[in-house]
Amino acid sequence: MNMSLLSTEILTAVLACGLLILCLLSPNKEKHRGIGYATLFGLLAILVTTFFQYGINETTFHELWIHDDYSVFMKELFLVAAILVTLSSIDFVDTLPRFRSEYYSLIVFAALGMMVMASANDLVTIYVGMELMTITFFVLVAYVLGNGRSSEAGVKYLLLGAASSAVLLFGMSLLYGLTGTTVIPEMMAKLHWSPALVIAVVTLIAGFGFKISAVPFHMWSPDIYEGAPTPITGYLAVASKAAGFAVLVRVFIDGLPLQNGVDWLTVMSVLAGITMVIGNVVAIPQTNIKRMLAYSSVAQAGYLLVGLMSADAAGVKGILFYAMLYVVANMGAFAVAIVVAKELGTEEIPDYAGLAIRQPLLASVMTISLLSLAGIPPLAGFVGKLYLFSAIMDKGVLWPAFVGFVMSMVSVYYYLNVALYMWRDEPKDNRPIHVPGAIKFTVLFAMVATVFFGIYPGPLAEVATMAAKSLF
Amino acid sequence: MNDFIFAAAFYGLAGMTILSAAGVVFLKDIVHSALMLALSFIGVAGLYVLLNADFLAAVQILVYGGAVAILIAFGVMLTRRRNMKESNPNNRWVIYASFVSAAFFAICGWALMGTDFKPVGQQVNPEAAVEGLASLLLGDYVVAFESAAVLLLVALVGAIILAKGAKEA
Amino acid sequence: MTIGLTHFLLLGTALFCLGLYGLLSKRNAIAILMGIELMLNAVNINLIAFNKYVAAGSYTGQVFSVFVIVVAAAEVAVGLALVLAIYKDRLSTNVDDLDWLKW
Repeated sequence: MNMSLLSTEILTAVLACGLLILCLLSPNKEKHRGIGYATLFGLLAILVTTFFQYGINETTFHELWIHDDYSVFMKELFLVAAILVTLSSIDFVDTLPRFRSEYYSLIVFAALGMMVMASANDLVTIYVGMELMTITFFVLVAYVLGNGRSSEAGVKYLLLGAASSAVLLFGMSLLYGLTGTTVIPEMMAKLHWSPALVIAVVTLIAGFGFKISAVPFHMWSPDIYEGAPTPITGYLAVASKAAGFAVLVRVFIDGLPLQNGVDWLTVMSVLAGITMVIGNVVAIPQTNIKRMLAYSSVAQAGYLLVGLMSADAAGVKGILFYAMLYVVANMGAFAVAIVVAKELGTEEIPDYAGLAIRQPLLASVMTISLLSLAGIPPLAGFVGKLYLFSAIMDKGVLWPAFVGFVMSMVSVYYYLNVALYMWRDEPKDNRPIHVPGAIKFTVLFAMVATVFFGIYPGPLAEVATMAAKSLF
Repeated sequence: MNDFIFAAAFYGLAGMTILSAAGVVFLKDIVHSALMLALSFIGVAGLYVLLNADFLAAVQILVYGGAVAILIAFGVMLTRRRNMKESNPNNRWVIYASFVSAAFFAICGWALMGTDFKPVGQQVNPEAAVEGLASLLLGDYVVAFESAAVLLLVALVGAIILAKGAKEA
Repeated sequence: MTIGLTHFLLLGTALFCLGLYGLLSKRNAIAILMGIELMLNAVNINLIAFNKYVAAGSYTGQVFSVFVIVVAAAEVAVGLALVLAIYKDRLSTNVDDLDWLKW
């Protein structure tokens, strides 16, 4: 038993509990900024320690817990997401009616759940980590107390999330029955085709498909994304989805055999195809920026699934690289939406008219983030899509790349639509918009990272390759 | 325990569980549904005893039969309305719902009957189940155990935040 | 007529499907939660039955169901707090009335 393999989780748990205690001790209950900055520095410190964790590929607790480069990469992704969410939340939290300080510790608890998912090597730990993340999100989604939309989104997310967990559990129980173990690598050797395995795989795909919002399990996401507080929408869209992928990749690649087993690759391919098409097509008529980003995030899940289709190190590298860029670009877009919602009180895309005149920084960040999501060179999203699609083309399968390319062109349409409103149209009034310091930092970071990794993807790609290789 | 008593106990408990579960979903008054739910939980606890899981049976009665059923009864009472007769209505997709459930049952039942679940490993002493569980929970599964502890903390904090609401009481 | 694994699995599946029916067909959020609880109980029956008949060498299945019970209790607590929160706003717990978002 080697406790150092758990250091990131222990530090995160200590940070989250410490923040809760800090909330209790702070004399003025609604003074939350200090706690916000404490969260920020705590998360940053943990992020720094993770960089020293690469290269340790070990398991502990009889293989129930695995510490590999893949899990370290994923944890860094969750930490980056949590940091960006905290940064963009600090000014938003002012508008909460009550319980402002506790908000931050919940963000950290959700990150802890994701980390447990990334490092778990057996179904029990995966399940508990996933529920830790999901239950925290139930609370966060409904956090705007007294606002019917927020609590409505919370109830919907809770009912659907709990139901999807139950379906997922049914599949897990069958896997346990077929193999007598819950350890993922041990299942690989013991599984072979049987009717019950088919049911298990189908229910697993349905359960995980809900978490990553792949079509046809995506119906919840636009509603919940629209009703949830905007920073939490961003957190849900990037981190919760990435955590779902972290587990999906590990369970399917390490645990479910393709020879002699169930051909889950074909199911994944179909899912990837329809997810790319439906996500992008339905995004076109949306007028609410959060709903548009919700459908766009459905489409992004489709691109990421293409990486899983190739089921090799190159594909997983594509997933990791793309997921990281997706975090940065999406958080940039959501940070802009947060400021606009707070200053203008609107989430409708036509109300973004003339944003370029009123606040050029926000307009540029929004444009760059959206173009990166669309995969326009030289931005980072282009490189990410290149990795994803070239991995599958190397396997001699061309259609996903074709569908992905066509659908990216479709997505350019609705992304540019927002840009057109911002840059072409005249604003209704010319007052400049004030951007708070923390958000300014978030958007600048998102913009710089998106451009930098587009022009010079080398270092990140190398880390992603190393992380992907540790899985095989 | 000989086969006949085991079979009789199984069918008795299974009947109780399934019938009260059917009551949960088919009764029109949600208070009756909540009571049926508690009964169903107790039936499941009995089944655990048949499956040599005495400890789990106790946990089931304490947590499900006690806490969860009471919580749900609270939920029903705190959100009650004037006419309880029709308090548990179906939505407009009820036909699809019954079709989907029936189909899932047929397919799953067929798949489970057609699968040969091969036993692995030697039988351990069921008498020592509590020690075995404890050493697994605090040994190999300690990460899940601690995460579950954190999860309960989050649920506690979250439930307080959500239930207290926006106004100072 | 010996009772074996299949009997328990069929019972579990039947319970799961009743829960699924409740989940899909009910309007009241609390009734939907009850359906989900039935589904989780069904999974627990599966796990413990597998533990006895398939993997009797350890208590993994029982450990798994301990965690399922813990998580289910936490979920119900948060779920009912949410239902109460929304009831304060709307005086309704029917999900059909939750139509401020498009659903």
